[in-house]
Amino acid sequence: MIAVAIDEAADALRDYIRDHTDGITYPVLMDSDHLLTELYAISNVPTVLLIDESDTIVQPNWNAYATDTFKDFTGIDSGDQLDAIRRWVIDGETLMTADDARGAVDDLTDEEEQARLHFRLAVHLRNAGDTTGSERNFDRACQLAPNDWTIRRASLPLRGGDPFGPEFFELLAEFDEAGRPYHGVNHSGLPTAP
Amino acid sequence: MGYGRPMTDAQIALLETGPLVDAGSLPELIGWELKPEGLCRDEQCVIVTDREALGSDGQIDLREVAGLLDRPVAIDSDAGLVAVGAARAGRRGALNDLRAPDFTLPGLDGTFHSLADHRSKKKLLVAFSSW
Repeated sequence: MIAVAIDEAADALRDYIRDHTDGITYPVLMDSDHLLTELYAISNVPTVLLIDESDTIVQPNWNAYATDTFKDFTGIDSGDQLDAIRRWVIDGETLMTADDARGAVDDLTDEEEQARLHFRLAVHLRNAGDTTGSERNFDRACQLAPNDWTIRRASLPLRGGDPFGPEFFELLAEFDEAGRPYHGVNHSGLPTAP
Repeated sequence: MGYGRPMTDAQIALLETGPLVDAGSLPELIGWELKPEGLCRDEQCVIVTDREALGSDGQIDLREVAGLLDRPVAIDSDAGLVAVGAARAGRRGALNDLRAPDFTLPGLDGTFHSLADHRSKKKLLVAFSSW
């Protein structure tokens, strides 16, 4: 297992990991530039991939959960998903055929691609203390990819917004209105018909 | 400047330059060098069909270079920053051919890890966040 934090706050992350897990034995990596969201067309977290011994993706971008914390919101049962992961590890059983997996995740649009670069510029300028420059690029990124949570939601606390304040609920309503767009597959842990 | 090491296809760069740079600084900035045979890195060369479009008087336009390497680029001219993204081929390989692009990222202790370190194992890759 490899966990990658699509996150800018190393200190917050250390606290988060200390609070949420015991005895982590796998690498936890920091991706403050959101490189993975560009390489794998990731638009929200959690996004899980299953990758086999030859570095072939057998389960592309999957909205999967280790717990039922968000079950009321997502309607997703983590138990079925964990069972599916166990079946793959033990028996090699996959959730999708390779044919179905190919092309299952939409590529980033040009706008979503540009948004990632402007997000990076914004974080860089923020770290350099240039608030005006940072805001300019956060604005641009959010305009380009309004329903991408690795941009909209991730930038909210970086811009001084309350992560669970009115802005968050406005964003959530907007996201619902748009049909909760997601670059990936959003299925249960049930195997596909043979 | 860049991240202080030659860019692989999966690396990204934030360059504190304008879009126009000296041809001689290309290897340091993006890991590619302009040679008579094309835009080259190690044994690999990308043919440059329209050399004039790249720039003149030894000044090279990073937007054109990024285009040749099929990498996205964004410019903030007020801040004098150029962002060069990862080569699109990596993402297309993932989405269309299910080939997992390699990446190298630091762990919480600063040690770098790559997906390729775990070759010949089954991997569960989880993108999460604290936000």
